[in-house]
Amino acid sequence: MNNRLKVLRAERNWSQADLADQLGVSRQTVNALETGRYDPSLPLAFRIAKVFGQPIESIFTED
Amino acid sequence: MNDLSRPRRPHGPGAYALVVGVSLVLGGLAGAASAFFDDQPGPVGTAMTAALVTAAMAVGFTACVWWWRGIDEAAREAHKWAWWWGGSGGMAVGSVVLLTLMLRAEEQPLPAGLGSAPADIFVSGMMAILLFQLAGYTLAWAGWWLKHR
Repeated sequence: MNNRLKVLRAERNWSQADLADQLGVSRQTVNALETGRYDPSLPLAFRIAKVFGQPIESIFTED
Repeated sequence: MNDLSRPRRPHGPGAYALVVGVSLVLGGLAGAASAFFDDQPGPVGTAMTAALVTAAMAVGFTACVWWWRGIDEAAREAHKWAWWWGGSGGMAVGSVVLLTLMLRAEEQPLPAGLGSAPADIFVSGMMAILLFQLAGYTLAWAGWWLKHR
């Protein structure tokens, strides 16, 4: 799955640690999400959508 | 589904070290207590040993539950993957050692450290399984995180 996490985070000048704090995950998990090597659970995807104020489908797209 | 309120920070290495430390202390206490009570005559010593080891296991398991509930989902996935592939793979390798030791011809000599009585040799084989499981788990866990960097 592809995602725009890195772009969205950069637009807000957040570090990975900042985003990790808001999501309640570790910085390593944010890194794994951004590189597309780990797909989040549905609850975490909803949390990501809420943090960025965008619908899930605008953040995550199929390969 | 989980609520969307601001989440708390997940457990880090400090919490892991705490659980490992608590487990080691509990294991030491249970071992010392069992050494003491095993010397007592009658079934009371055995019952006390069983009770204390059970209590230590319960406290240790509770600590593990607390830690597990505090780590994030990727960390859980890494541990689940490591448990299945690393632990099972290690068990398979250790089982080869155990079966080789137990099924060997009796005249076949063994290193002294493995014991001479069948029960001692069996314990050596079981320890091999445990060690290979730990090694496999650690390698698989590290591999998962390297792969998902």
